[in-house]
Amino acid sequence: MTDSAMDPRISVDNLSLAYGSVSVLNALSLPIPKGKITVLAGPNGCGKSTLLRAIRRLHKPSGGHVRLGDVDISTLNDRMLARQIGLLAQSPSAPDDMTVEELVRLGRYPHQSMMQPRSGDDAAALDRAMAGTGVDHLRKRRLGSLSGGQLQRVWIAMVLAQETDVVCLDEPVNHLDMAHQLDCLDLVRQLNVDFGRTVVLVLHDLNSAARYADRLVFLRDGAIAASGTPEELMTEATIARVFDSTIHGDHRPRSWPPALHPPADAEQHNFGLKRPRRPNRGRQVRKVLVRRDIALRSYGCAPAARQTDPPRPATAPSDSDWQ
Amino acid sequence: MSGLTSNLAPARAPAVLALMALAFVLLALSGVAFGSTWIPLDQVTKVILGAGRKTQNLIVLQLRLPRVVIAALAGGSMAAAGFLLQKITRNSLASPGVLGVIDGAALGVVIFLALLSDESNSLVTSIAYQPVAATIGALAAIATVFILSGRRASSAIRLLLFGIAIAAVAKAITIVMMLIGPIYRTSQARAGSPGRSTEINWSEIRVTALAMLPLLLLALIAARKLPPADLDEVSARGVGLDLPVFRVLIFALAAALTAVSVAFVGGVGFIGLMAPHLARLSVGRNVYAGLVGSFLLGAIMLVAADLIVRVAFAPIEVPAGTVTAVIGAPYFLFLLMGRQRHDG
Repeated sequence: MTDSAMDPRISVDNLSLAYGSVSVLNALSLPIPKGKITVLAGPNGCGKSTLLRAIRRLHKPSGGHVRLGDVDISTLNDRMLARQIGLLAQSPSAPDDMTVEELVRLGRYPHQSMMQPRSGDDAAALDRAMAGTGVDHLRKRRLGSLSGGQLQRVWIAMVLAQETDVVCLDEPVNHLDMAHQLDCLDLVRQLNVDFGRTVVLVLHDLNSAARYADRLVFLRDGAIAASGTPEELMTEATIARVFDSTIHGDHRPRSWPPALHPPADAEQHNFGLKRPRRPNRGRQVRKVLVRRDIALRSYGCAPAARQTDPPRPATAPSDSDWQ
Repeated sequence: MSGLTSNLAPARAPAVLALMALAFVLLALSGVAFGSTWIPLDQVTKVILGAGRKTQNLIVLQLRLPRVVIAALAGGSMAAAGFLLQKITRNSLASPGVLGVIDGAALGVVIFLALLSDESNSLVTSIAYQPVAATIGALAAIATVFILSGRRASSAIRLLLFGIAIAAVAKAITIVMMLIGPIYRTSQARAGSPGRSTEINWSEIRVTALAMLPLLLLALIAARKLPPADLDEVSARGVGLDLPVFRVLIFALAAALTAVSVAFVGGVGFIGLMAPHLARLSVGRNVYAGLVGSFLLGAIMLVAADLIVRVAFAPIEVPAGTVTAVIGAPYFLFLLMGRQRHDG
């Protein structure tokens, strides 16, 4: 982690930002490593969304800089910036009668100009984005006819079509149900793994934040309270310090309220944060599915039957820890 | 509202636009043909092509054609302004009238006439400055609306409410100025109020066209940047449209277009509301098709309204604005009722 932090894609230097007289970010500095998923989390009003938007220059800082590589983003024009950093808004909206294709095509907007209106590159990028997010078959559908989960995929497709090196997502799973949250975040991870995008993600849910982050950043009162790998940060002491609340780390595989634990066969430490290594995609997907099933069960839904059902906690006699 | 039509709309846009253009030409020709004396369409065509008889030349070229031309230009520009406003506010209820632009322009004209008339009630300066006065009035009105809406100017409902309020204030002041002004001034000022496109001569058309064509050209250029305006503010800026700056530009452009129209034909309401909305239903989301379609529909509407008042109400001069209001107001209500789903 340290070596990639040495080579940041974006570096935030002493950034201060205020809404009127209310100071939101106080001289905040943060390197965002290239090709990794950085998750910003923290209590409400800590400035995480503001930081994300400041990185995309939607807010004018009162002090400090955001650098993209060596370039200060305040020197870039809007179009150039939009080719470098994509942003999925917290609650994006588009007209109901717009088609999926029309929306995704807007992602190509910064690449078009008077001189080069629409090129083959655009069509190819459009196809890649729609295929990558699995919304190809929805192409001609109108947005109003999509479900929440589909709609979120379409929005991600739009940001993907922008073909930016850095992708910022502001609470992308906010109004999705549990299964679709995981689905959507898996997609984000896939963008990171398959497309090599640097991802900056604002997430509210700590479990998801810990699971998907390469690097986790806790903000509090407009400053960085802690940053590091999820393994380093997800300790009771840190959480208590950041959130002013005693959250007990749950080391047992089953608990109430339900946390999204890995299955019982995984080693249990640190909120179950031992994640499979990157290249092992098959195992990773299976685990996510298992976690989703556990989540669904805890919500009273029966998960879809799979051929290789993992050992359920209830039938794992070897584990004596949890009863 | 936009039901099934929108999915097919883009594909057939060129055909629909061609149809609109055809309808416009036919309507414009009949606009010239109808009047106190009927001039057959083939004669009208002859005169326009420069091969008519002398009396007909006089009637067509000096009396009727200017009226049709100014109606087409003004109607089209108002519709184009409405298109820009609806696009940038993401709101099909936005229109020059609703945002106070029309009444602001009318007020500008009235103040201009009041301030720059001498003792004998004749203007001390050229009438060519009337569009300038209208533009200043329109810009002042829309600027006030913006300033009052303040930080939340992107909220469509707020803009509309302030627009309606400013329109009412401007209208009230206009009426007061007309009442306390001398008779001549009042009748002249009436040109700046609801819908008169009579007594237009070619020099006024030249002034209007000179002001209007660059604005329309600008609108076409601006249209290229418009597509992301369909999205919410953060997303639109995310794909590289500098919305806060661009919004002000579009508002200024729409205000100027409206003002130039209002300066000579007066405040014809609802064209700026109906034409862009119908255009979107018939040609879809493409900005160029939408802009051209709005212009054509707006031109058709005002020429038609003018024709109706000349044929149906002659010899009384009923303002064309009456006709557009009679049709437009129910349409506005219909749109309002359909909006309950997503008002914001």
